[in-house]
Amino acid sequence: MTSLPQREPGAKKLGLVIDLDTCVGCHACAVNCKEWNTGGHYAPLPDHNPYQDQPDGVWFNRIHSYETEERTVNFPRSCLHCETPQCVTVCPTGASYKRAEDGIVLVNTDLCIGCKLCSWACPYGAREFDEDNGVMKKCTLCIDRIYNESLPEAEREPACVATCPSRARHFGDLADPESKVSKLVAERGGADLMPELGYGPVNKYLPPRKRKIAAPPLQSACGEAKPGMNRLLALVDKVLSR
Amino acid sequence: MKPASSVLLLTTLTGAGYGLLVWLGILDLAGAVPHAPAFGIVAILIGLAFAGGGLIASMAHLGRPERAWRAFSQWRSSWLSREGVASTLSFPPALGFAALWFFEGATAPATRILAALSLVMALVTVGCTAMIYASLIPIRQWHNRHTLPDYLIFSLFSGAVLLTAIMGVWQGHVILPGSIAAASGLAAIAAKSAYWRFIDRQKPLATLASATSVRQFGAVRPLDQPHFSENYILREMGFTIARKHAEKLRRIALAAGFIAPTILALVATLGLAAWLSGPLAALLALAGLFIERWLFFAEATHVSAIYYGRPV
Repeated sequence: MTSLPQREPGAKKLGLVIDLDTCVGCHACAVNCKEWNTGGHYAPLPDHNPYQDQPDGVWFNRIHSYETEERTVNFPRSCLHCETPQCVTVCPTGASYKRAEDGIVLVNTDLCIGCKLCSWACPYGAREFDEDNGVMKKCTLCIDRIYNESLPEAEREPACVATCPSRARHFGDLADPESKVSKLVAERGGADLMPELGYGPVNKYLPPRKRKIAAPPLQSACGEAKPGMNRLLALVDKVLSR
Repeated sequence: MKPASSVLLLTTLTGAGYGLLVWLGILDLAGAVPHAPAFGIVAILIGLAFAGGGLIASMAHLGRPERAWRAFSQWRSSWLSREGVASTLSFPPALGFAALWFFEGATAPATRILAALSLVMALVTVGCTAMIYASLIPIRQWHNRHTLPDYLIFSLFSGAVLLTAIMGVWQGHVILPGSIAAASGLAAIAAKSAYWRFIDRQKPLATLASATSVRQFGAVRPLDQPHFSENYILREMGFTIARKHAEKLRRIALAAGFIAPTILALVATLGLAAWLSGPLAALLALAGLFIERWLFFAEATHVSAIYYGRPV
C-alpha cells in the first residue's frame, strides 16, 4: 500500500542525525554504504565504467561541500525517511512504502515497475535508478544491519554511522525524547532540510558552529623580524640581514 | 526535467485522442454529428488509436514494462495509478459508443448514454494525466494552478483539430468543428502564454541555505561536487536548457502548434479546401504540441538540482 501508514502510538522513528560541524567530508560514509549495500538488501548496486573517465553508478549517499563567508561545510546527503514522503504516495504499484513500526521508507524491488515517479517526487534527490535491473533503489537505513541478530550488538547500526571517523553521524529513535539522538537535536538545535516543502524529514542536521578561536595570521617562513622576537634578536636579525 | 520521448508521446497522443472522444460525445449529445453509421466507427477508432498509441508508448518509459499491470492497484493515493485505471475504463464505453452509433444510430438514447460515459471517461483520464505532474511538489513549473486546466485545454484543442481533419476529409464542410477548433486554439494560445509568463516570474522553491539547513553564515555556495561525472539525479532532474533555445522553441511551438492550426481551422470553416486545411492543421497542431510538451519538461526544474548548484 502506498498510502501512508497510521503511525501507532509509541512507534519508533528511526533516523540519522548528521553533525555538519564535525563532518570532514572524507566520503567514508558513502564508500562504506556502497560496500555494505552492494551485498545487502538491494544488492547489487550497479556501477558503469567504474575505471573509465565517466564513472556512473547507484549510491545512497552523496557528499557535497559548500562554502560560506565564515567556513566550509561538508554536507552528506541521503534519504531522510520523511514523515510524509511523497515518493511513497505517488507510487502506482505499492512498491514504495513506509514502515508503520519504525518509519523506514523502502522499495519492494519485486513490485517496482521502474516508472521513476518516486524520484521525481523526492525534493532531496535521494532515490537512484538501477538501469541494469530497471527498478528504483534507495537508502534502507541499513535495515539488514540494524535488526541483524547475527551481528554483534554494537555493530547493529547503519554502515555510514559505523564507519564515520569523526563521529559526525548518529543513529537512533527520534520519537523517543530520551534517546541520544533526540538529546543531541535538542542541545544543538538540529534542523530539517527544506522544511518549507512540508515533507517532515526525520533525519536532522546539526548546525556548524561559529569559529571560537581566531586563527593566527599566516606568518612568513623567512625574512622579516617577527613580532614575538625580543629586541636583541631583532637587532641581530637586522644586522645579519644587511 | 529530462524530456523522455515516451512520456512526450504519451501525453500528446492521449491528449489528442481523448480530446476527439470528448468532442464526439458532446456533438453527439447535441445532435450535431454526421449521421452516417460508418462515421462514428471511423472517428471513435481514430480517437482510441491515438489514446492507445500514447499508452503503449508510455510503456517504453518503464524499467520493467512486464509488471505494468501492477500500476492499477494504488488508485487511492497515486495519480499515475488513477490514470492507468481511468484510461483502461475509457475503452469499453468508447467502443460501445462506436458500436451503438453503427447499429442503433447516432441519436438513439442508448448511443447517447454511452457518448456521455465515453466523454466523461476521456476528460477524467486527461485530468489524471495532468494531476501526475501538477501534484509533484518539488517541480515548481508543474506544481501550480496552470497544469490541470492547460492539459485539458490542449487536449480539447488537439481533439477539435483532429475532428476538423476527419470531417474535412469525410464531408468537405466543417463549419461546427472548424469553429470549435479555432476557438479552442485561441484559448490554448492564451493559456500557454499565461503559463510562460507565470513560470518566468516564479521564485525558486528553496535556497542552498534552506536546502542544507546552514542558515547562520549568510549565502551558501557550492565548493566541491560529490562526483565528477553525471549521475541519475543530474541526468533526470538536473536537465538544463539554454534560455535562448527555450525562447526560440517557445516561438516555434506557439506559431506552428497553436497559431497556424487556428488559422487553418478558420480557413477550413470558411469552406476553403477543408479536405486539405483540416488535416494540415492537425499535423501542425500535433507537431507543435510535441515541442510544447518537450519544453514543458525541459523548462521544468527540480528542486533537488540545487544541491549541485544547478538552476532550480
